[in-house]
This record gives sequence, C-alpha cells and structure tokens, in this order.
Amino acid sequence: MSSSVSFDPRVLKTPQPVPGAPDNWKRFFSFNTDAKVIGIQYIATALFYLLVGGVLAMIMRGELITPAADLVDPSVYNGLYTMHGTVMLFLFLFPILNGFNNLLIPPMIGAPDMAFPRLNAAAFWLFPVFGVILMASFLVPGGPSGSGWWAYPPQSIQNPLGHFINGQFLWILAVALSGISSIMGAINFVTTIIRMRAPGMGWFRLPIFCWTAMAAQTIQLVGLPVLTAGAVLLLFDLSFGTSFYRPEGGGDPMLYQHFFWFYSHPAVYVMVLPVFGIFSELFPVYARKPLFGYKVVAIASFGITVLSLIVWVHHMFYSGTPQWMRNLFMVTTMLIAVPTGIKVFAWIATLWRGKLRLTTAMLFCLGGLVNFIFAGITGVMLATVPVDIHVGNTYFVVGHFHTVIFSTITFGIYAGIYHWFPKFTGRMTYEGLGKLHFGLTFVGAQLNFIPMHWAGLMGMPRRVASYDPEFAFANVLASLGAFLLGVAMIPFILNIVSSWARGPKAPPNPWQAIGLEWLLPSPPPAENFEDDVPTVISGPYGYGLGKPLVENEAHYVARALEA
Amino acid sequence: MTLSSPLPADDPAAASGSQQGHANHTLTGFVIFLLSESVIFLALFAGYIVFKMSSPVWLPAGVEGLEIRDPLLNTVVLVSSSGVAWLAERCLKRQKLVSFRLWWLLTMAMGSFFVYGQAVEWLHLGFGLGDGIFGSTFYVLTGFHGLHVITGILLMGLMLQRSFRPGNYDKGETGVVAVSLFWHFVDVIWIVLFVLIYVWQRS
Amino acid sequence: MTNLSAASAGPLRPRTLGLVAIALLLDGVASLRMADWSHQWLPLPASAAAPYVDDLFALETGIGTFIFLGCVSVIGWTLLFNRAPKYDMDDGDPIEGNLRLEITWTILPLVIVMLIAWHAIRVSDTLATLGGKVRVTGTAEAMALANSGAESSRSVAAGSFGPIEVIGRQWSWEFVYPNGVRSTELHLPLNLRSSFHLIATDVIHGFFIPAFRLKQDMIPGSVIDYSLIPTRVGRYRLRDSMFSGGYFSSNQTDVVVESEADFQHWLEQAARQPLKPGYNEARRLYEKRLAEGDRGWATVPPAPPPLVHVSTNPAAVHVS
Repeated sequence: MSSSVSFDPRVLKTPQPVPGAPDNWKRFFSFNTDAKVIGIQYIATALFYLLVGGVLAMIMRGELITPAADLVDPSVYNGLYTMHGTVMLFLFLFPILNGFNNLLIPPMIGAPDMAFPRLNAAAFWLFPVFGVILMASFLVPGGPSGSGWWAYPPQSIQNPLGHFINGQFLWILAVALSGISSIMGAINFVTTIIRMRAPGMGWFRLPIFCWTAMAAQTIQLVGLPVLTAGAVLLLFDLSFGTSFYRPEGGGDPMLYQHFFWFYSHPAVYVMVLPVFGIFSELFPVYARKPLFGYKVVAIASFGITVLSLIVWVHHMFYSGTPQWMRNLFMVTTMLIAVPTGIKVFAWIATLWRGKLRLTTAMLFCLGGLVNFIFAGITGVMLATVPVDIHVGNTYFVVGHFHTVIFSTITFGIYAGIYHWFPKFTGRMTYEGLGKLHFGLTFVGAQLNFIPMHWAGLMGMPRRVASYDPEFAFANVLASLGAFLLGVAMIPFILNIVSSWARGPKAPPNPWQAIGLEWLLPSPPPAENFEDDVPTVISGPYGYGLGKPLVENEAHYVARALEA
Repeated sequence: MTLSSPLPADDPAAASGSQQGHANHTLTGFVIFLLSESVIFLALFAGYIVFKMSSPVWLPAGVEGLEIRDPLLNTVVLVSSSGVAWLAERCLKRQKLVSFRLWWLLTMAMGSFFVYGQAVEWLHLGFGLGDGIFGSTFYVLTGFHGLHVITGILLMGLMLQRSFRPGNYDKGETGVVAVSLFWHFVDVIWIVLFVLIYVWQRS
Repeated sequence: MTNLSAASAGPLRPRTLGLVAIALLLDGVASLRMADWSHQWLPLPASAAAPYVDDLFALETGIGTFIFLGCVSVIGWTLLFNRAPKYDMDDGDPIEGNLRLEITWTILPLVIVMLIAWHAIRVSDTLATLGGKVRVTGTAEAMALANSGAESSRSVAAGSFGPIEVIGRQWSWEFVYPNGVRSTELHLPLNLRSSFHLIATDVIHGFFIPAFRLKQDMIPGSVIDYSLIPTRVGRYRLRDSMFSGGYFSSNQTDVVVESEADFQHWLEQAARQPLKPGYNEARRLYEKRLAEGDRGWATVPPAPPPLVHVSTNPAAVHVS
C-alpha cells in the first residue's frame, strides 16, 4: 500500500504507525485505553526487562564460572540473584503474559476491548512505576534486597544498615504494587471473558488460550491476596517493629513460608497455563489438525488451577513439616501430573498424522514441549519426599525450574510472538533470523540448565556465590550456555525491530489459521469487529473439517482483505 | 443478583454478546474484586488463629486482656448500619431520592461512630504495635479493617455527592449497589474479627 | 480422509504392532540402563537413608526415561514422516479425539504417580529421621531446653548416640557433644543412630549432608529433633542449604564418620584440648572485604567464631 492510497479510517486507529499516515507512535507513551496498545506496551516493556534480567544472569554466571567468589563480592552476588529472579518474574513474565492477554482475549472472543479499559490502562501504568522502584533499589545505600525472591524472614528483615528506606523495603513495595496491578488485570480479564463473548461463543467454543487465561487469572485472584497479606506483615516486621516472623516476640518465621508459597507455587501455573494455551493454539495451526481432545484439554486447565492451590507445602518438606503433612502434599503435588499429562499427550496426538509446517513459531513450540516433558519428570522427582529431601534447595531445583520458566514458558512466549507478530503489527518477521534465534536458544538452554541438575544431585546448594571445586565442570558448562543464550537475543531483537520497521506487509491470515482474530485485518482496527460482530457457529480448530467458524465467514474474510 | 451464570453452556443464545450493558460488567468485576479481597482477610484470620494456638508467648507483660463492653457497642452500631444501608438502597430503587440520602447519611454516621470508637480504644490501650505478637496482630488486623471502613465511608460520600447530579440514576444505580455490597462485606469481616479478637480471649 | 478412523481406532495391523513392540522394548532397555546409571550421578552413599533415596531416584529415573523417550520418539516420528512438503497447503487428518485413548492417558499416569507416592511414604516411614519440634522464643531458651534433662522425656533409644546440639549461626557451625566437647566439624560414630537438637540462633539455616542424602532446616524459635545413621567411614561435606545472607556460601564444614572406637578416642582427646576460636571462612572473607575498603552491598557482620575444642581443618580433603 503506497502513501497515495487513502486509508481505511479504522486502520489509522491501529496500535502501530502506518507508513505515510499521520504518525501515531506517541500513543505508546500515553495513558491509552486501547487493549491492543496496552498489550504492546506490556510486551515491549517486559522485553526490556528481559534484557535487564539477562544481563544480571550473565554477571552471575560469570561469577560462577570459577569456584571462588572472585568476580563480585558475595553480598553483591546475593543482590544480583535476588534481582535476577524478581525482575524475571515480576517485570518480565507476568507483564508479558498480561500483554498477550490484552492483545489476544478481546479479538479471540470478538469483543471490542476489555470490560474496563481505564482500569486496564491504570494496571499497565503501575508496571513502569514498580519497575522503576525496583531498579531504584540498586541505588540506595546498602544496595538492593539480597534475600532471594522468597525473602524468607528473619534473614530478610535483618536490615544491616538500619535505614528506613533500604533495598528490602523497596523490594516489598515493588512486589506489592505488582500484586495490585495483577489483581486489577485479573478482574478485567475474567470479567471480559465471562461477559463479552461473541454471540454463539459458548464455553466449549472458547479458544484454549482464553480457557487457560481464565484458569490462570483465577489463581491470581485467590493466591495473590495471600502473598500480599504475607508481604504486608513482612514490611511491618522490617520497618515498624512488629513480631509476626520474629521468634523473640512470639512470632514464627514458618508462617511467612506458608503465605509465600500459597501464592508463589501457583504463580508458576499463572505463568505456564497461558503458555499451555499458546501451545494449544499453535500446534493445530502448524500441524493442520484439530486440537486432540479439546474439551478435556480445556477442563484440565481448571484441574490444574484447583490442584495448584493445595500443593504449596512441597516447598517446605525439609522445613520441619510433620510427616503426615509431607505425605499429604506429596500426593496432591503428584496429582498435578495427571491434568498436565493430559495436555502433553493431547498435543502429541495433535501432531500425529498432521501436516507439520516447521515455522519459527512451531519450532519454539516443539522445543518447549520437549523441554516441558523433561521438566515434568524432574518435577515428579521433586514431589517425592525422600528425593526432595536430598535435592531440595540444590541446583537440581534451579535446573528444574529454569527448564520450566525459561525452556518452556519463555519458549512458548517466543512462539507466541512469532505467531501473532504479523497480526498485531501488520508485518511479517524473517524466518531465517527466527530459526537462528531458535537454534541458539535451544542449544543454549540445554547447555545451561541440564548440567545444573547434575550439580544439584551431587549436592551443590542453590544461591551460592562460591562452591567446592568438584562442581566446577558443571558450572563451566552452565555458564557457557548462559552466554550462548545472551548471544541468542541478538537475532531476536534484530528480527523484531527490523520486521516492525520494514518487514513485508502481513496479510490478515498469513498462517491460514482458524480463529476470530484471523478474520480481522492485520493490524486489527481499534474496536476489532466494531458493531459487526460475527456469530460463532462451530468450535475452534476445525482444520480439515470443512465447517465455517462463523456465520457468513466470506464476508469477514473479504472485509479483512479490504482494509 | 450479580454474576451471570458462568456455567458452561453450549447453547448459542446463552453466550453473552458485547451488546450487554456496561453496568453489568461493573458489578461482575466488583464482586470478583470483593471475593479476592476477602482472601486477604482469610489469610490474616488464618495467621491470627495459628499464632493464637501455637505461640509460646501471647499477651505482653502487664496486659490482662481486652475490654469487651465498648467494642461490643461499636459492633452493634456497625452491624446494624448494614441494615440502614439496605433501606437506603431500597428507597433508591423506588425512586425516593430524599429518603435515600437520609438513610445513606445515617449509614455514614454510624460508620464514623465506629471509626471514632476504634480510635478511642486504640488510644487507651496499654500496649503498642511493637509489643510482641499480640500487639502486632491486634493493631494490624483492626487497623486493616478500619482502613476498609474509612474507604467505605469515603465511597458513600462520593455516591451521596453524585446523587445530586441530575439524571445520575437514569442508567441504573450500580455505584450505590456496589458500595452497599462493599459495606456489607466490611461488616461481615468485622463480625469474624470481633469473635476472633474480643470473644476468643481465653486460650 | 475416511480411512483414518480405521487406522486410529480399528484393529492394528501386525506390522504396526511389531514396530510398536520393538520400540517399547528398546525404550524399556534404555530406561533400565538409565536407572542403573543414575546411581553414578549421586555422591557416594554414606548413611542408612542413602540407598533408599538412591533406589527411589533410580526408579523415577527409569520411569521418567521411559516416558520421555516414548514421547520424544513420537514427536520425532511426526517430524520425520508427517512434515508438509513445501507448498502443500492441505490439512492433516481431522481427528478430534479418541475417548479410549484419553481415558488411558488419564488413568495410567494417575496409577503410576500414586504408586510412586505410596512407595515414597513407605521409605519416609523407614527412615524416620525427623523427630518432634518445640517452639521457643529465642536462642537462650533453645539452649536451655536442649541442655536441660529434656532428653529424658524424648528418650535416646538404646544403641544410639547423642543428642548432639547443632548450632547454626551467620556463618559458622558449632557442635556440642553430650560430654561437653565443642567442635566446628561434626564427628559421628559409624553404624550408630546419632540424634541431634537443631538450633538456629539468627536466621534459618539448612543442615545438609549430600553424602547422607539428608537435609533439615533449622528454624529460629524452634528446637528440632533429628537423627540419622552414618554407614561409611570418611570425611564428607556439610553444607548450609537454606540461604542465610552475606557469606552463606562459605557456611560449610565437614562431617567425619569414624568407627565407634575411633570416635570415642576422638571425644576423649578433644575434651583435653583448650577452647579456642574455630576456623571461620566467613570471618576471613569479611576481614578481607574491610581491608579492601568495605566495598559491596550491605551484610550483617559474621558472628564471632565459636570457641571450640576442635576446629575444622580447611585443607582436609573430603570424599564427597
């Protein structure tokens, strides 16, 4: 489309600058209430923090490449690993997944926007605020919090310098604000999915991504308040002299662990469920087959939600938990393998006898799936009490959860970015760079995280700045893997930036996918379908079934092409 | 009265379209918020019960326990204010704007009386926030609840002020319904707190 | 398009069956080898608990390998034989589900994990390492409780040694034996159940001996009873496993397992040694930091090294 062609006025409201049109990039820096603008705001800011967290990780791996603590002081290492974890969870993963929710939920269900657009924008703008607060903690006297992202008292409330404003104080503040932002988001997403679905879109015609978003946000609503309560009490202990977690006044540090893990274990499912959603969306598209066992996969999401809320004590098997409680929570934890297994097997069955198209997005899905099967198996090992007593709090755990959080969740996020990038920017990405990104990331991830399992089995505790020489080999491998992952970011950033600036124009449905979002122009207009919302007449993923998704489908396809 | 049935229904007619009123979204969202907010209190109650049952020390030295008479009066006022709020809401539904304002104002006054009573109690207690686990839990629990009461009064003030806008209730009275829901929520929380802190004193 | 139901749900052809059987056989053999190999990924087993933990881990490695290889083989198969040729825009077989298959892969994992859990519960009952826990308000009360005749109520079973007080500090270990001997390295008699009172004075520490496959947190405000049986003579590493701030990674010491006679001899020898500050790595690093201008982020200073009869030898070589 050249600049002489007059624009569809709806395109001018799209969440990205249209070449030749009055420039509208400023909206990304404003209090914009359009879910698609907010989605891109979330994703862009989160990717920036991915780089921040990645740099912290590489300094840590630099420290750990030799046994002695020689690159940075141990106290600095403690701050680095604390901030690495906090940044990756609260400033990268949660926000980027909220970005996906914002971009995908309204178009997927045929809604014009979120139920509460202003609340949505307010939730987003808290993100830069707590991001800055957390970054500011690098600058206060004494440095940032160095108590790990668990912030277990009494260590976290020791406050060595005695200042009122200290790294730990800012850390709690940032985490609390992040919680408030997430609650605001959760209310919005849940209300939107419950009340704003297109005509005909019953629950069992809802795309799996929306099911998983719903399941994940339910966890936020139930779990986050508990973390908030625990964090507020921690703040009072740190700053106002209360005794909740101080044994001298009659308090108990164990209570914090219960509060913390009641949310923070399910938090993993808050992150992984939307990625299950992404897998469930993408495998059918690139295998050209319906999702195997759609209904069961959908319901399994809520199975995971329910179970995730009753497993938290498995983080405390070695904390003095009585044996009956260990056994109980071992059983509940193991049960999670069932709904998760259902999903994994359903994806594999979806691939079976398909027509696989190995695009970058598909490669990341496949890689993520293989990694997730591995992580699931080490997860069952960790759930087993006697094994966990040995490997708990060692590098085995670090290897396990990085395989989940990076090699599964972040892989899924990359897949999602490559898959929906054309839809929301109107530009195609470059497959060559994408595949290079995948190759480097896959190799780097294995090199980084598999040796960690071995170090942990041999007895290397997590969170150490120095270690005994027998662990050196595993750590050298891990560090090399980490640096490779750093290198892998280069083709990714290059791809995203150059594609958005001058990539080939994207058609409305470049992957021949089935779904409401693919019936919209790329990028979609501000109000998606506006007043002309399609009526859904069949379930999602009807590949090869020959049934139209909506009434009068040709009309919508033609309209999307015109724009 | 709020959540539309979120049960799985494959009947196309049952699925809600985007044409539905915005007011319904607001109430749905608000109920979800209240459910989530109640979990914070559940967590704090659970923490209180655990401390009360397992702590090796409880009352700070020199403290006998809590006086129950004045708080009981406070409780009666706060809990009955819920009924008054309900009356106000009913008047509004019957378009009796003036009596709505009167009942609404009375609710606010009763809420303020409660806050005043709490403040007086706080000022005359022989222990502080830093006095062991008892002082910590007492002040944080009642303080956090008090914050909710004050928020409720402020929200009611806002609704009162809005009632003077001409045509404010033409599209429905979601705001008032939501605030009154919030007020009932705050009252229920207080009943539990009162039982936990004041009634359950002997260990 | 129409024969797909026959292929997916109908009777399997003998050739397919044979292929699946061979694949399962290979998978099984590989899994057994992995289970066998898994013992080598762990330190030398040196306690009564270790063989149980290792066998459980090997069992899970075997099952895990079987599932992992099974899934990855299927994925690999589809990658090899179900790829769409370039410019092939057709769809795959529109299979939407298979109830029998779905029920199978719900029930089977359920049965497997429940069997593992049942087995794990039996192992935990056999090991019985964790004793009771008493809440206290602080270190002084904890010490008093541990030193008082409290052992009499929590009786020390016949044929066992102890209780040894294990005291965790930022960042040092101190062990107090029943005869009053204090040391910063832990000595234990071979093949006897040793019992402990675990006490943390400041923050949470983790009592972790990888060669024993055992780990227990020490919680401020609690005295935790613990016991274990060393089964192999040697010098092993004892590591703080719960993050405890500044010099956490230096909070390591050794466990020396000796024959009962050697152990008694050591105890008697130790009692005659004068009390002196034990070797403390955290202290050394902190003084180095102060000498270099106190750069770095905030940390509490290390507690003074405990006064002990026998100190750790930092140059000693540990087995694992």
